[in-house]
Amino acid sequence: MLQPLTVVLLVACAVLGLLAAHHLLRGRLVDDPIVLVGAALELALLVQLVVGLGKASAIGDGAERATFIAYLFTVLVVTPAVVLIAIKEKTQWAMGVVLGGAFVVAILVARLQQVWSLNV
Amino acid sequence: MSEPNMNAETGATSETGPAERPHTGHGFGRLLVAVYGLLALAATGRSILQITEYFDRAPVPFLLSALAALIYLVATFGLARGDRASVRLATIALVIELAGVLVVGRWSQVRPEAFPEKTVWSHFGQGYGYVPLLLPVLGLWWIRRTARATEDFDPAAVAGPDEHGDPTGTNPARSAD
Repeated sequence: MLQPLTVVLLVACAVLGLLAAHHLLRGRLVDDPIVLVGAALELALLVQLVVGLGKASAIGDGAERATFIAYLFTVLVVTPAVVLIAIKEKTQWAMGVVLGGAFVVAILVARLQQVWSLNV
Repeated sequence: MSEPNMNAETGATSETGPAERPHTGHGFGRLLVAVYGLLALAATGRSILQITEYFDRAPVPFLLSALAALIYLVATFGLARGDRASVRLATIALVIELAGVLVVGRWSQVRPEAFPEKTVWSHFGQGYGYVPLLLPVLGLWWIRRTARATEDFDPAAVAGPDEHGDPTGTNPARSAD
């Protein structure tokens, strides 16, 4: 789709994942950096949504286009959900959830890129 | 458990300390709830897409996807709520899920022509990194562990087995399905 955006998104996922892993190992709970990186990631995902919706018509096959749009929206849910869980949970599992969430967002972003490149 | 008023004083004090009451949706349970929520989301999205866009292509896998989505939703909310009825419902969902992934996994291997389209459960959840196979086992273990911990935490809160006579709770829920 938009390669620089995908790279930015994957880097943001990596930063969030590393931060969560660091906190997990140090036994720390959610703090400002986690929330801010999460917010930045979400913002970039919203940009991706706008760009993706604008370009979706380039995908010829109807079902594939629907898949693409569904992924664009689904990926938005993950980051807020894991950060919310992390805020509520007061054990180290909180950071485990954030780490998992960052991984999932990265997979979904890669999958979006794959659906795009296979159908355009 | 024979003298319930004896452990009212002693049971809660020494071992557990100020710890929080065991809950299926806390601690490790948060991770389980997150993963179940994600699978619920994925399976729901996939089945809506499959059923609305190209249902004729493979009705059976698509209906299985929808069933899986429903079960994941029940498991997510059951574990997250964590009260007795919810946990019981989640247990049933997890057992059905485990049976489903085993049966459909085997079925899709023996008769791949019946599954021209993938479901969450085909090939034991290979397309999802075998998470659908691992998850019900983990979930059932966690529910069991939480139940044990609750017993230690507050023995008085655990009802005797003779209260309703049906510890598995399968019958009422099956009929409600």
